[in-house]
Amino acid sequence: MQDLGINVIFEGSNLLRLLIGLWVTMRIAIVAIAISVVFGIAFGIVMTVKNTFVQIVARLYLEAVRIIPILVWLFLFYFGLTKVLHIHLGAEVVSVIVFSLWGIAEMGDIVRGAITSLPAHQRASGRALGLTDLQIYRYIIIPQAVRRLIPAAINLATRMIKTTSLVVLIGVVEVLKVGQQIIEVSILKTPSASFWVYACIFALYFIICYPISLWSKKLELKWQNQ
Amino acid sequence: MKKFLKTVSLILTLLFSLGVLAGCGSEPAKKSAIDQIKERGKLRVAVFSDKPPFGFVDANGKNQGYDVYLAKRLAKDLLGDENKVEFVLVEAASRIEVLEADKVDITLANFTVTPERKEKVDFANPYMKVALGIVSPEGAPITSVDQLKGKKLIVNKGTTAETYFTKNYPDVELLKYDQNTEAFQALKDGRGAALAHDNTLVFAWSRENKGYVTGITKLGELDAIAPAVKKGNTELRDWINTELTKLGEEKFFHKDFEETLKPAYGDSVNPEDVVVEGGAIK
Amino acid sequence: MSQKTQEKLLEIMNLKKQYDDVETLKDISLDVHKGEVVVVLGPSGCGKSTLLRCLNGLEEIQGGQIKLNGEVINADKTKWHLIRQKIGMVFQSYDLFPHMSIIENILLGPTKAQGRDKTEVLAQAEKLLTRVGLLDKKDAYPRQLSGGQKQRVAIVRALCMNPEIMLFDEVTASLDPEMVREVLDVMLELAKQGMTMVIVTHEMAFAKAVADRIVFIDEGQIAEIAKPQDFFNAPTTERAKRFLNIFKFNEESER
Repeated sequence: MQDLGINVIFEGSNLLRLLIGLWVTMRIAIVAIAISVVFGIAFGIVMTVKNTFVQIVARLYLEAVRIIPILVWLFLFYFGLTKVLHIHLGAEVVSVIVFSLWGIAEMGDIVRGAITSLPAHQRASGRALGLTDLQIYRYIIIPQAVRRLIPAAINLATRMIKTTSLVVLIGVVEVLKVGQQIIEVSILKTPSASFWVYACIFALYFIICYPISLWSKKLELKWQNQ
Repeated sequence: MKKFLKTVSLILTLLFSLGVLAGCGSEPAKKSAIDQIKERGKLRVAVFSDKPPFGFVDANGKNQGYDVYLAKRLAKDLLGDENKVEFVLVEAASRIEVLEADKVDITLANFTVTPERKEKVDFANPYMKVALGIVSPEGAPITSVDQLKGKKLIVNKGTTAETYFTKNYPDVELLKYDQNTEAFQALKDGRGAALAHDNTLVFAWSRENKGYVTGITKLGELDAIAPAVKKGNTELRDWINTELTKLGEEKFFHKDFEETLKPAYGDSVNPEDVVVEGGAIK
Repeated sequence: MSQKTQEKLLEIMNLKKQYDDVETLKDISLDVHKGEVVVVLGPSGCGKSTLLRCLNGLEEIQGGQIKLNGEVINADKTKWHLIRQKIGMVFQSYDLFPHMSIIENILLGPTKAQGRDKTEVLAQAEKLLTRVGLLDKKDAYPRQLSGGQKQRVAIVRALCMNPEIMLFDEVTASLDPEMVREVLDVMLELAKQGMTMVIVTHEMAFAKAVADRIVFIDEGQIAEIAKPQDFFNAPTTERAKRFLNIFKFNEESER
């Protein structure tokens, strides 16, 4: 039975555990990505404001998120908050908060880049048509910015999905950790378990991520033809 | 427009400060640690989820292992039901943090007592002991540390093996890996002359993998493995110590060994080399 | 042009514009009557485009007053978007929104800013597109159009707001020469129909043909206001003479 490593996947409730692990990964990633998109757009717009104070604060936030590793943020929010302020946040809640903070910052920077790359006369001609500033954002700036930022945003989203494996360090058991658990239990009896478990996880990730990349390619193509 | 932007920035600022403010709650009142656990009705224990046979999750998703066996017993004796235990799965790196941040009551995660750790957490008496073992290919067995000079030795990052060799044998070149899986694979691929790890683990591994022997079975100081509680929680620590003494009388850890370690180690490991009864290493 | 009336539509009084410490417009006063076509000429950098952008609030002014139909329009900054619905503007750069089709570009202002009924605007838009010969392009996207076609659409887009006055800011300056004519023809046609217009241009022949009055601006000040035939044949100021000489030289050398 030495080499029938694939059996490991179907032993007990292993497959179900992997799927549940994947669900945990996706749950954290999806919520964090959704928050990042909504607030990231707002943050990106705020970053385009010509106000030194606002820009410094925004810059500080962005750099803090970039310089300090995600792992440190996870520890800060999960352990640090409790130690200093005695607030207990669940590990998954902390994961969502930290990944959202990261996502908002990065998404904001992407949005800022997309907005500032739009020619100034787009805004001017919107104003000349009597549109309010809100309408200009709604109908002219945001739709065009979104088209420009889709590739970068998809890239950020996939990075976020991949990085969720870090949440295991604050005790959230996501798909990679489940895989690790299965491998370690089987390592003595089935040395090839790791190969099959990772192949399975790869397949699961692929099933999730491939449609996303297909969809983004379709969007890009559609907008190119306009 | 500026008004709109100001509103947005204001909302964002508010959100952030709310997050901070929410933290300004008052400290929980000082209450007996054991009463708190009883009130909660759950004993929270930090265990490993991928370090068989000490703490792992089996194919059915259940926590198992030597540490888990003890955790269930502690819950039974403290709360009257062995199911009144909440397992918090930890990584080696966060074993101290979970205690400091009050995420768990006890850490039972193959936690070796060291002077550095003693400064951060309070250890109860040991329930297990471990030394280093070195496994090598049968064809080129390593039976003494002197044979390792000028050769590569495989260790895991952050383990006792790494510290021991860095400190005592700096001229042995170390190949370091994060995961056990990687480390043993490296030995199989011949990337190092031998592998050093806890003797219990290398015993078990050499038993399953033909062509490898544990040439050195006991190296370095005997390490004690003990439950840990938050620094200053003497009440819970003392309770655990009393409990360990009581459990020693019924040879609890020999039973634990039979149930959890023997299936993995077979007869290659003598329980007396591993088990500590009554909280005292003899 | 003959439709000129005595009714003042736009009044500019002592307008001052400053960038940091540099005064780009110093004390400009000018009335535009209903149905009148005013062409603003002047060397580049004289402030004529800035003047146009001040008239619909795209640039803030530091002094003076602007009145539309006798009402001061520059007092309340938050009301500009309402004022701009009455002042159409077409720019030098092709300013169509690239992510919208031609018809969507045209409908945006009337339906969103003015809140008008879509079918009503659509009918008007199609009529205007027919007039500029671009009805078949209504579902195309801007990048599928030539520069001249884009500018004609931009004019239609502004007209669809039913403005009381139209501002044209060097609308042919970025066009390939063979496309200039099609755009100027549309503007001439508009003038004939009695649209009040303020035009900044470098097309002298066009200026002569379309203008009721020429306003010559130099160094941020109005140097001369005259009827076109007077301005082009007998300018009164030295500066205007010098300016016109450059163009004469061009015409001579082209012969």
